[in-house]
Amino acid sequence: MPKSARRLDNGHPRSLLWAEGALCGVAAALSPPTALLLAGLLAPGLVSLALDGLPGKPVARAVLLAGVTASIASLRQLWLDGTSLDAALNLLEDPLRLGTAWAAGATGWLISELAPIIARLLLDARSLIRAKELRAERERLQAEWNLPASGQPPPSATP
Amino acid sequence: MGTSLGAFPPSSAAGVKLLNGQYEIMTAVPLPGAGGGLPAFAARHQPSGRADLMAVRASPGAPPRANALARLEGEVIPGLLIPLAHGSGPAPEGGETYYVICPEPPGPSLAALTANSSPWSEAEILQYVLRPAAHVLEALKSRGLTHRAIRPDNIFSAGTKNPVVLGCAWAAPPASLQPAVFEPPYTAMCAPAGRGDGSIADDVYALGVTLLTLALGRTPLAERDAETVILTKLSHGGFEALTADAELPPLLADLLRSMLAEDPAHRPSPGLLLDITTARSRRVTTRPPRRAQRPLALNGASAWDARSLAYQIATHPEQGARMLRNGAVTDWIRRELGANQVASTLEELVRWRAREGGPEDRRADSILVLRAVAVLDPLAPPSWRGISLWPDGVGPALAAAMAKGNEELTELRDFIISHAIALWAAQQGNRVDGGTLRQQAQQMELWLRARDGETGLARLTYALNPLLPCASPLLAGRWVVSPAEVLKALEAAAAQPELRRLAPMDTHLAAFIAVRQELQFYLDVWEAARAGPPERLVLAELNLLVALEARHNLGPLPQLSAWVAERAKAALELWHSRSRRAALEQQLQALATGGRLQPILALLDDPTALQADAEGLQNALARIGEIDAELAQIAAGSTERAALAERIGREFAAGATLAALTATLVAAALG
Repeated sequence: MPKSARRLDNGHPRSLLWAEGALCGVAAALSPPTALLLAGLLAPGLVSLALDGLPGKPVARAVLLAGVTASIASLRQLWLDGTSLDAALNLLEDPLRLGTAWAAGATGWLISELAPIIARLLLDARSLIRAKELRAERERLQAEWNLPASGQPPPSATP
Repeated sequence: MGTSLGAFPPSSAAGVKLLNGQYEIMTAVPLPGAGGGLPAFAARHQPSGRADLMAVRASPGAPPRANALARLEGEVIPGLLIPLAHGSGPAPEGGETYYVICPEPPGPSLAALTANSSPWSEAEILQYVLRPAAHVLEALKSRGLTHRAIRPDNIFSAGTKNPVVLGCAWAAPPASLQPAVFEPPYTAMCAPAGRGDGSIADDVYALGVTLLTLALGRTPLAERDAETVILTKLSHGGFEALTADAELPPLLADLLRSMLAEDPAHRPSPGLLLDITTARSRRVTTRPPRRAQRPLALNGASAWDARSLAYQIATHPEQGARMLRNGAVTDWIRRELGANQVASTLEELVRWRAREGGPEDRRADSILVLRAVAVLDPLAPPSWRGISLWPDGVGPALAAAMAKGNEELTELRDFIISHAIALWAAQQGNRVDGGTLRQQAQQMELWLRARDGETGLARLTYALNPLLPCASPLLAGRWVVSPAEVLKALEAAAAQPELRRLAPMDTHLAAFIAVRQELQFYLDVWEAARAGPPERLVLAELNLLVALEARHNLGPLPQLSAWVAERAKAALELWHSRSRRAALEQQLQALATGGRLQPILALLDDPTALQADAEGLQNALARIGEIDAELAQIAAGSTERAALAERIGREFAAGATLAALTATLVAAALG
């Protein structure tokens, strides 16, 4: 395996991890208030990013995306307030903002957890309906052609 | 004996079943002694009103002589009760029977005339009996026929000074009703039904015995049983045995000596009998059989000559075969009769027997006896396990055995399968037409060969007896000799609930139809179907009946079609599709009352539709296979579905949150 393509245990490319880390470092260096605000608002997403062991980190992705969606307004407010550390801290001290962002993250997590279950239920239901249709067709054929349940023709029915 | 018109009871014109639509049979007016040993009734020709007729009744196991009836149709032979018609008519006890219509005898029989009177004079015998009888026999001979029922109680005369008339001899197998004394010993020893048409020389013999009876005023050897008569004739010669010490006029004695010769070739022809002087001068010198000094005991009887020995061996075949095998017969013949050539031939036959089979081989023993009898007495008929019969008597013998249903039928079957006739002919040299007999034997065996013995025997019996009625229990009470009548008889049988429970076809019916209509193929199919499923058998039955219906347009037969339709329901099993079967059943019910069989067959035996049905079944089976595979796949796909649901769920979550983010960004950008 080429060195550049090596992956971590969770399947995430090691190079991408480094790139993300570098990007975050650069963003924090360029705008510490923004980085602070995002770190506070997206804390559930960052935690889930660390905890999500699934390939592609689908749970963390959903939590982060939901958290980012809920943080847009706060980021915009930060930038309107001059992008200072105080402004960032004021915003973080607002429980409504923080709760909204975290609730959005929780919603992302919930969607990510419920969606496979609902999909499973739908797929199972579809299979059950199909099996029922097939059994009905089989019974109809058995009745029409006077076949035993095994599906084999009776001895005298062999043409 | 004439029955005047006034003697007839008034005819009940309506409802009277007429024979061939013309002859009314007065079953209430029996004519005792007129039928030559068979029951006879007065009859009347309705169209012409002719009433001097009689109907002679046949019996089921003894069919009328089809060949003679066919050849004498429309003929006029003075001095003979010519058959005028034949067919089924009402039986006195109810039901149907078969009659041969003949003119009524002109008066009492010679037996009745001579019962209480003195012997006839030579002139009377020659003028009133010999000449008219010889004319009749000559006429029959010219047509290739024989009478075979010449005896005093079947010869009639209007009075003592009138030429005689030979009676009816057509309603029973040839010579089957003749007492042993009136037949040559080689015919008398045969089973009554197996005597065959014989030759005109046999009629000359019977005429000779009749003349002798009239000359003596009594029947010779009347007090003896048939076996004694035969043995006496064999050991002493026919003339000597019959005349004994009786004094006969010289002319008559000379005539009778030739007429009663054992060898048919030595008897004068009927034409020669018309010229009495020539016939008298034609003396044939025959040596009496050589008599042994000491007899050979066989079965408690003593044989003094080769002919008697042949008869004893023929009638006691098991003991005869044993004595042949242990050399007792050949030793006796060589020592007592000095017939070394005969003894050597017999030894050769015994050696063949030893090579042919083991000591318990019954068939080899039977063949040995058959051949040995032919060697010992070349004039004797073929003999098989105690049954003697002439080759042309096989048909009636089979009919009689079939009617009795006894083991004789099995013996006759073996007789034919073993080609006994051909083996016998081979021992006869130029005395018989070996080629024709071999061909006959092969033909009979071909008829006999079938999947099961019963069908083969029935087929052969019907083939050899054109006027034998079908013996199927389904036709009980009806005398069916023509295939056209079969469907009508079945239509009548269909009205009887106890018969309706049976199939409208059985061995006798199938064999009868196949033989009479040359539908051998359908018989083969029916026989094959008997071993298969019921639905195939039903179709085979239907095929036979429809083939018959196609040849005889008899109009609707509603009872029979309903019967067939009931049975044909089994044929619906050939169809696999339940809906198709239900539709067919409905159509079958509609056809059941139509009275036609062909549409029923067409409905059920439709190869194209059956093929489509079979293909439908195959398609259904294939589809069921696909369904089973898919169901198995669904049952085993839980893990796959879980993985798919996980993937879909995660993608959905990602997609939903990304969509929300995008919408938020767009909203933020727009202000």
